[in-house]
Amino acid sequence: MDNIWGSMAQYDPLIWHWVIAVYLFLAGLSAGSILIGIGLRWTDKNIYNGDEETPILKAAALIAPLAICAGLGCLVLDLTKPFSFWIILIRYNFSSVMALGVIALLIYTPLAFGYALIVFRNELSCFPQLTPITKILMGFRKVLEIFLFGMAIVVGIYTGFLLSAMNSYPMLNTAVLPALFLFSALSAGSAANNLVSISFFHGRVEDDQSEAMHRLEFPVISLEILFLFLIFVGLYYQGGAAVEAIASLVTGVWATVFWVGVVLVGFGIPLLAMILPASVKHSRGLAIIVACCSLSGVLALRHFIIYAGQSYIS
Amino acid sequence: MQTNYVMIHDERRCTGCQSCSIACRSENKVPLTVFRLQVQIEGPHGAIPHLHYRYHRVSCQQCENSPCVSVCPTGASYVGDDGIVSVKQKLCVGCQYCLAACPYKVRFIHPETKAADKCNFCKDSRLEREGIPACVDICPMNALIFGDLNDPDSEVAKVLNTAITHKNNPHLGTKPRLYRIPTKRGGIHNG
Repeated sequence: MDNIWGSMAQYDPLIWHWVIAVYLFLAGLSAGSILIGIGLRWTDKNIYNGDEETPILKAAALIAPLAICAGLGCLVLDLTKPFSFWIILIRYNFSSVMALGVIALLIYTPLAFGYALIVFRNELSCFPQLTPITKILMGFRKVLEIFLFGMAIVVGIYTGFLLSAMNSYPMLNTAVLPALFLFSALSAGSAANNLVSISFFHGRVEDDQSEAMHRLEFPVISLEILFLFLIFVGLYYQGGAAVEAIASLVTGVWATVFWVGVVLVGFGIPLLAMILPASVKHSRGLAIIVACCSLSGVLALRHFIIYAGQSYIS
Repeated sequence: MQTNYVMIHDERRCTGCQSCSIACRSENKVPLTVFRLQVQIEGPHGAIPHLHYRYHRVSCQQCENSPCVSVCPTGASYVGDDGIVSVKQKLCVGCQYCLAACPYKVRFIHPETKAADKCNFCKDSRLEREGIPACVDICPMNALIFGDLNDPDSEVAKVLNTAITHKNNPHLGTKPRLYRIPTKRGGIHNG
């Protein structure tokens, strides 16, 4: 459309930028790593014996609170009135996904910190003032785990609903998006758990928990590919303006980000690494490379969804 | 709702002179870099010698089902008793969810207040003072009709009962209260 009078700059449909993509990534990372950490603890038969926590659980308990805080920092800094952020904490419009997300995050974040206190009780024994709190929390460990697990699912899904609640963008306005975000959060969580447990907590690739985490990768990546496929098939059948959004797969810089970042690096390299011989697969270096590729892929996916999603309007 | 304010843009009368846009800027002290209201001049359409332009008012559609109000986390975007969708500047934190959720992309961040802003039928300015929005008051072609649809004797009620009108993107279910009377030279194109 040609416009003869006045600037059109204001009508750019791209409202949210990379800071929000990074926030979505970090919130997913936090939720995904704690889901994997607690899930593996519940399914691991040998776990209740010793006093020492496993490297994977330590990684998860460290990543979850730090990632969510960094993400919330991004969120606040992206506001046009960052010093008014407190208003969002006291005024709630319950029809807004963002307000519901604030409630979820207000429950999730302290739980994540509480759980970190439990998992790192030995490391934190040099801070005696924390000991009484940790002792109380230890008594409720199972309850806390269940609530934290539940809230992590809510946080992982909420980041998807935040975008899919808008019918202005056909690519985002689909209920498949929350499912995609939850599973890509698991991908990011397991990669980050791997990276941190190997780097800082003497985790080894051939540990039982690490092996169990690797067995999850294939089904999780398969589901992510399925959900992406469903989103684009959905756009095709929706018709009208929605069909135009399929062009995001072949045109522009975000198509490159999708095929190189999401598909090749995020899905391709981890899938290829699975078919390598066990001796290579169990090397520390390869595990770190694959984890970094998975994390880059999830970050690329969030960017693709944010930028390509907002480029097409219904 | 006590009143149900609606606006009709008669594109047969409009000449794209932008008086409305300038009156709006002056009345509501809209900074120069942003627009509450623009009349976009589209075209030329048709074949020589029957060329014509189309005039498309781009401003808040005052939706009955307003996506901007339902996504606003703090309730800064709200619908008043008069049916007007407006923004409580002090409650806005600038998350820009409303800018993203608006399918008509008519919201912007006010460069000075840093809050979301848009056309609110001059609710805080000329409508309150003189009972009529600035754009309607100034239009030299009388292309803008404004009034309370709850009043069956109002001009808007009479026009909506007799003229063919369109709304933008009705399939989105937003129920805009900004109506368009299309030009006689062919239909209108959305978007």
